[in-house]
Amino acid sequence: MLRVSDLHAKVEEQEILKGVDLEVGAGEVHAVMGPNGSGKSTLAQVLAGKEDYEITAGSLELDGEDLQEMAPEERAHAGLFLAFQYPVEIPGVGNSYFLKAAVNANRKARGESELDAMDFLKLLRERATLVDVDEALLRRPVNDGFSGGEKKRNEILQMAVLEPRLAVLDETDSGLDIDALKTVAAGVNALRAENRAFVVITHYQRLLNYIVPDHVHVLLDGRIVRSGGSELAHELEEKGYGGFDGARAEA
Amino acid sequence: MTSAADTRTGPYLELFAGRGAGGPVGARRQQAIERFEAAGFPGSRDEEWRQTNLGPILRARPVAASGRALGDGGALPFLYPDCDSMVFVNGRYAPAASSPPEGVTAFSLADPAGAGSELLAEHLGASVDGRASCSADAGVHPFAALNTALFEDGVALGIPAGTALERPIQVLWLSAPSADAAAGDNGAPASMEVSFPRLLVVAAENSQASVIETFAAADPAAGGYFVCPAAEFVCGAGSVVRHTRLQADAAGAFHIGFQHARLDRAAAFDSSSLAFGGALVRNDTVALLDGEGADCTLDGLYVLDGSQFTGNHMRVEHRQPHTTSHQLYKGVLDGQARSVFNGRIYVHQAAQKTDAKQTNRNLLLSKAALANSNPQLEIFADDVRCTHGSTIGRLDEDALFYLRARGIGFEEAHGMLVHAFAREVTDKATFEPLRRDLEARLFASLNGGRSNGQGG
Ligand SMILES: Nc1ncnc2c1ncn2[C@@H]1O[C@H](COP(=O)(O)OP(=O)(O)OP(=O)(O)O)[C@@H](O)[C@H]1O
Ligand SMILES: [Mg+2]
Repeated sequence: MLRVSDLHAKVEEQEILKGVDLEVGAGEVHAVMGPNGSGKSTLAQVLAGKEDYEITAGSLELDGEDLQEMAPEERAHAGLFLAFQYPVEIPGVGNSYFLKAAVNANRKARGESELDAMDFLKLLRERATLVDVDEALLRRPVNDGFSGGEKKRNEILQMAVLEPRLAVLDETDSGLDIDALKTVAAGVNALRAENRAFVVITHYQRLLNYIVPDHVHVLLDGRIVRSGGSELAHELEEKGYGGFDGARAEA
Repeated sequence: MTSAADTRTGPYLELFAGRGAGGPVGARRQQAIERFEAAGFPGSRDEEWRQTNLGPILRARPVAASGRALGDGGALPFLYPDCDSMVFVNGRYAPAASSPPEGVTAFSLADPAGAGSELLAEHLGASVDGRASCSADAGVHPFAALNTALFEDGVALGIPAGTALERPIQVLWLSAPSADAAAGDNGAPASMEVSFPRLLVVAAENSQASVIETFAAADPAAGGYFVCPAAEFVCGAGSVVRHTRLQADAAGAFHIGFQHARLDRAAAFDSSSLAFGGALVRNDTVALLDGEGADCTLDGLYVLDGSQFTGNHMRVEHRQPHTTSHQLYKGVLDGQARSVFNGRIYVHQAAQKTDAKQTNRNLLLSKAALANSNPQLEIFADDVRCTHGSTIGRLDEDALFYLRARGIGFEEAHGMLVHAFAREVTDKATFEPLRRDLEARLFASLNGGRSNGQGG
């Protein structure tokens, strides 16, 4: 489904991704772990099409299509979703208005009929219940004045409403209390399906107790230095990233 | 006076000479034309005017706009449901297209029935000629003086004491210039039809009214014309006056307007100015808080594209204690559009406990657009709260990316963000048909102006 090969990306003349290889198949859950500043969010943003980052080498493919050729909205239409590490506050744009615009933009792009107000509301209510988002948040402007946890839940709500084929969750677990973490995980698990895949970026093993990954990757200084099964996450939890310096030197 | 000044003021003096100074305000008209003649048009060194390029107006020969008949229903597209209306075409009353309010004094200034009205004698032109203003630099406003001298028609509204009007009154100023306005150098017109719409609103004690002025062209593709309106609001003690000024002139129009409000004790004046059309638009607003506890709210929105220019020059004078003023002006500029916001707040020594707030925010959608914002606070009382803030910024790229990452296309995402910026002003319109009209105009101007936006 997703194929990232030898991806190099830089921002303001500084190379941040230094040859990332990542392959995600349909139905799989991948976890990407790594210390602060290692390039996890950069990878996520590059996937979503943020223009600040310049791709200097390598390739990005979703279902065999070159993502670099696609505008951010086209990537979304193709089924890519990024839950932002720092969701953007948009005063003046109502949350449910925004969600409806997003749902219908995607439906239109895929040649489906747009949802009317009633049908959309039904969908929204159902998904809001699923991920435990308070209806009051739907009436407020997008993320405006939301608490950290509310912002993360709102990302998961968007994911639940948009039903992407590939969801990249960038530290959606940070700042969540244990109950919120469980609902977020429940939201992800409810969406798990044979034709869907997830890339879960996280610092903590904690989330991975609820969303059990098929593969775990360690991103260090712009490279994936090690990949393994879910046991790798436990190893990291115990030893930290220190032990991977050698691996980085080798790579 | 130099000969250059003569060639510019001369044609306007001729218009006056051809008309004379009759009627109940004849003496004021005479005085106004004399003041205009003495002051002349502002020069490029005049601080209040140097950023407003009057060239195209002053180079064109003014031709009095003739009262043109509107075809059946010609005004209908501009009129809101559920409100009373008075329609003017080229500055002249069109009774057939109007449905004036009942229970209040409402008449066309050209209607002889109103000619003797005490209302006019007492109020019309009383403020515009500078008499009611004691600010040292108030001076003469040349275009307001011209309006007083030259208006042919207009509206006088008198709201009796204790009366609250249920429906808004819409005053439609429709321009319908004749098609044969000759083009001169640089595409600027060699002659222009000019009209001088005049509005007087006198709200007696504890009365309540809402007036919507709409400036529009019968044909949106009309060429250059010049509209030079003046409005006066006399807000009696405890009155509540709402005013909306929707400027939706044709793209080639020139619009230089003046409005003046005087607020008595505990009066509230709430005025919204929304500017969408015109090549060059200038609005001067003076609010005198002349009674204890008076409160005025002045909001504005300008949405500009191409080479449009809009200048808003505000002067709010706090003259009595416990008076409040809130100004919020927002601008959206695309293309090579330019705007000027000059906000002067003047707090007199007697006006202790003044609470004045002024905000001007500008959103630039293109590299070539330019917004100027100049707050000027002159405070002579010591126990006051005055704040001002101005920002000139661009669209939030992170927000744009966020929306696009959810599948919303560039154009739509862009429109959503601009709308989010502007709605702080448009949402204040509580009269639903007006609010919907503002939304529609906002979206129309955004879509019209997207061709030169940032690529996606
Ligand atoms: N727009 C940018 N401009 C300048 N530097 C940037 C930009 N984006 C990322 N960087 C830098 O790139 C490096 C990687 O940042 P990134 O956000 O990808 O790290 P991360 O692995 O997500 O870290 P964290 O765990 O703290 O979220 C950091 O040194 C960061 O400062
Ligand atoms: Mg990060």
